[in-house]
Amino acid sequence: MRAGGRDAHPPLSTGIRLSTTGDLLHVVTADDLPPGRIAFGRGLMWGTGLLLCLAAALQTAQAMGVIDLGLETWRPTLYAFITWAIALCWGQVLTRGEQGKRALFVLPAVLFVVALTVFPLLFGLLIALSDWNLSSPTGRQFNGLDNIRQMWTDPFYWNALGNMGWYCLAIVVEYAIAFGLALLLNAEIRARKFFRVAFLLPLMLSPVAVSWMIGKSMLEPRFGPLARLGRALGWDTPSFFGDPLVAKLTIMAMDAWTYIPFMMIMLLAGLQAIPKEVQEAARVDGASGWRGFWEVTFPLMLPVSLTAILIRIIFKLKLADIVISVTSGGPGGATDTVTSFIFREYRDRSNVGYGTLLAMVYLVVIVIAMTILMKIADRFTRPRT
Amino acid sequence: MKPNMFELAVRSAVSRRGLLKGAAGLGALSVMGLPRGASAQDAAALRAQILAIPGVGMGSPTDAHFQQVGELCLGPTRANVAEGEFAGVELTFMGLNNQNLHNILFRGFLKSWEDYTGAKINWIDLAQADYNPRLQQAIATGTVDFDIVEMGAPFEGDTAGRGLLDEMPDWVKEQIDMADYVGYLQPPVGTWDGKTYRITIDGDCHTFAYRKDYFTDPAITAATGMTEPPTLWSQVNDFSVKVKGQMDPLTGIEAYGFLDPLKYQWGGFGFYFLADRATAYAKHPDDAAWLFDPDTMKPRINNPAWVRAIQDVMDLQAAGVYPPDQINADPNTTAFSQFLGGTGGMLTWWGDVGSNARTSDTSVVGDVVGFSINPGSEDVYNAATGQWDKPEGGNFAPNLAYLGWGIYVTNRVSGDELKRKAAWSAAAHLGGRDISLWMATYPSGFQAYRNSHFQYDEWEAAGYDRAFVEDYLGSNQDSYNHPNGAIEPRIPGIFQYYSIAEDELVKGLSGQYASAQETADAIAAAWEKITDQIGRDNQIALYKASLGMN
Repeated sequence: MRAGGRDAHPPLSTGIRLSTTGDLLHVVTADDLPPGRIAFGRGLMWGTGLLLCLAAALQTAQAMGVIDLGLETWRPTLYAFITWAIALCWGQVLTRGEQGKRALFVLPAVLFVVALTVFPLLFGLLIALSDWNLSSPTGRQFNGLDNIRQMWTDPFYWNALGNMGWYCLAIVVEYAIAFGLALLLNAEIRARKFFRVAFLLPLMLSPVAVSWMIGKSMLEPRFGPLARLGRALGWDTPSFFGDPLVAKLTIMAMDAWTYIPFMMIMLLAGLQAIPKEVQEAARVDGASGWRGFWEVTFPLMLPVSLTAILIRIIFKLKLADIVISVTSGGPGGATDTVTSFIFREYRDRSNVGYGTLLAMVYLVVIVIAMTILMKIADRFTRPRT
Repeated sequence: MKPNMFELAVRSAVSRRGLLKGAAGLGALSVMGLPRGASAQDAAALRAQILAIPGVGMGSPTDAHFQQVGELCLGPTRANVAEGEFAGVELTFMGLNNQNLHNILFRGFLKSWEDYTGAKINWIDLAQADYNPRLQQAIATGTVDFDIVEMGAPFEGDTAGRGLLDEMPDWVKEQIDMADYVGYLQPPVGTWDGKTYRITIDGDCHTFAYRKDYFTDPAITAATGMTEPPTLWSQVNDFSVKVKGQMDPLTGIEAYGFLDPLKYQWGGFGFYFLADRATAYAKHPDDAAWLFDPDTMKPRINNPAWVRAIQDVMDLQAAGVYPPDQINADPNTTAFSQFLGGTGGMLTWWGDVGSNARTSDTSVVGDVVGFSINPGSEDVYNAATGQWDKPEGGNFAPNLAYLGWGIYVTNRVSGDELKRKAAWSAAAHLGGRDISLWMATYPSGFQAYRNSHFQYDEWEAAGYDRAFVEDYLGSNQDSYNHPNGAIEPRIPGIFQYYSIAEDELVKGLSGQYASAQETADAIAAAWEKITDQIGRDNQIALYKASLGMN
């Protein structure tokens, strides 16, 4: 039998005969809603809706200087929205009965998301299309696509975006190392539990702490232990952030050191989920260690691997703290990231409009890139037939 | 007084004998007074009395001491305000709580003021990092929710320039004795369009710190030919080139000359260090402006003077005279890691280097550090004629980087005369002549900023080492009172200009621009954009106002 189907139902032994049409499976009470209740529900929803529109319109008029209501904040509109949201939920039950109750499982969450995500996003979009320097006495001025044009010719932004490409490519190396470590920790080695915890420690550190402990202390060019090691190995003037390429590689290494444990722990979980019988069967069939890995373990790990890489890319695209703390994007922009550039534009230069646009564009780029990547990942992980 | 400077004084100067001597001196001062009549005698006795709370070398002051000092310095308030006059008045005070100073002291100082006047103060405490965004957002969104604000002078453009501040009443000017301020804090600083808004409670400037042993070490003096610290940038550059290859007499590692922070990117504050060099070339004694043309806001950053400063740095970089990895050294690194750690012979910085030199555990240069005003130049660029002038004795223009903290009253109180008087009375209490001496001599977060703060006898009597005070504070005083001091423009968004300049400067230093001129042109172009965005006409008007040209 299928839900809501038209199959014939035998009459129940109690003699109550239920409808044989409509949604049959989930309705547990027969709704017989009086017209007065429905009218009250509709009135409630429309009334509070109008109240919300009125509050928003009046406050907008005040914000535009048309009228002066003496209101200092937008709280009246917020309260009107909350009232409307509650009335909307109540109204669903009043007007639609059991169906309305079902809506209550989703509706509050939808209203919450709209209030706290969609509305700020739209407001953010408005700011992104504005000329808004906090020091400007004229305040926010809508300037259409000017910020996009500025971005198009902004060498700092494109440089940072290019750097992000290189930083993301480094994930391939991070993945290889993380996989190797996961295999080691999955093997029967001594003190396995200790190593599992020890290898996780970098992930538990704040990137700012990593910046100071490693970037500013261990890599200090005169007295830092790694600089001393470099000198002992014949590097005359060890400098980890002086040359653009070396600086970029050092930032990559510091970020990798922090986040490889994250990939490792995901891959380790994947490895432990593979039944041992599969490997044993491969060995019985005569597969060598390498073939056993490459043709059995690795393909089985693809879904986990791709998930780990995708999440790592998302983390990587947000890279800023280490860069801001250690190099401020230097030398000459070699280590700059989009986020650290936006931070300078927004915080140091109070350029709220342009900074918001850069963040919005970056969000769109990330969403598109991640969608493409997930499509590709989906194709890779789909079982071959 | 910065806390570490206080520690320095305590460590270097105070012995049991010295303390007794100081106490005796204070006692004598308070008993005998100064030969200036009864009121002068009372004032001297009061100053001696507060300087003994808790006493230099007796540990850091506590809230009880703040309250005690506040109570003792309440005299001017009593003269202008009747007891209970502000009963029922509530004021909101926004300030910092860095290192448990600033607002924390103000609370104690104002306790007796609140008790006497009947007013109540609500406090907004902010960490330094949160301060600028909080202030800027309050201004930009029209949500100023404080009546009294502790604020740096560079923000006067953002506040006074927009009419957000209340003009200082005349009785306040008399109460706080504004004529006592050091030269550079006199108007136009603290004023807009001829109106006074600021009660100064602090001073700031860059001074030149050098290693005295670099000018006595036989090998270094033989290589450089210099036995006296340089006074001109050309000498500094020459020394930096010639000292290369020598060994540091203190640490035994390679010796270096002047330490430019080649990373520069430091939230806008790194730009001050290029300005240290440039002011000598760009600040003409006949012209108050040195960053922009006051009539057009056209940047001067790409004029020959500034380009010369950038070129100096590029030349030294090309000559390889800096320590390794200097391209990644910000001002914090040059001062606290390099100079105090025994790397490099000279740098320019705020007062912290002087105090840390002898108090910081990581400093090795405490006994060999000397101070003077920033170096000068044989010639100075005249923006009006486009020529280089050669003033007799050279051109000196100390960089009065950041103008210190002040107390301001916002226009929220302007419509209520009682509240207005209360706000100004509270602010005046904190900016009083005597209470400020206490703040200059004990940890408060504030430096000396009045001419009366430089009476070294008072410091010596309080227990300080005279030689240190004269050397260290003397360089500050000489900078403050210099007739050609380079005073920061107090225009809106000044740190935005500095910040983008830092970004472009490091691009130039990493070879992404073909020359110093091209680097300077890139900064100028970025500055023009900012000016247009903030509003050119408005910036011109405010720049002129900040220079006192209206």
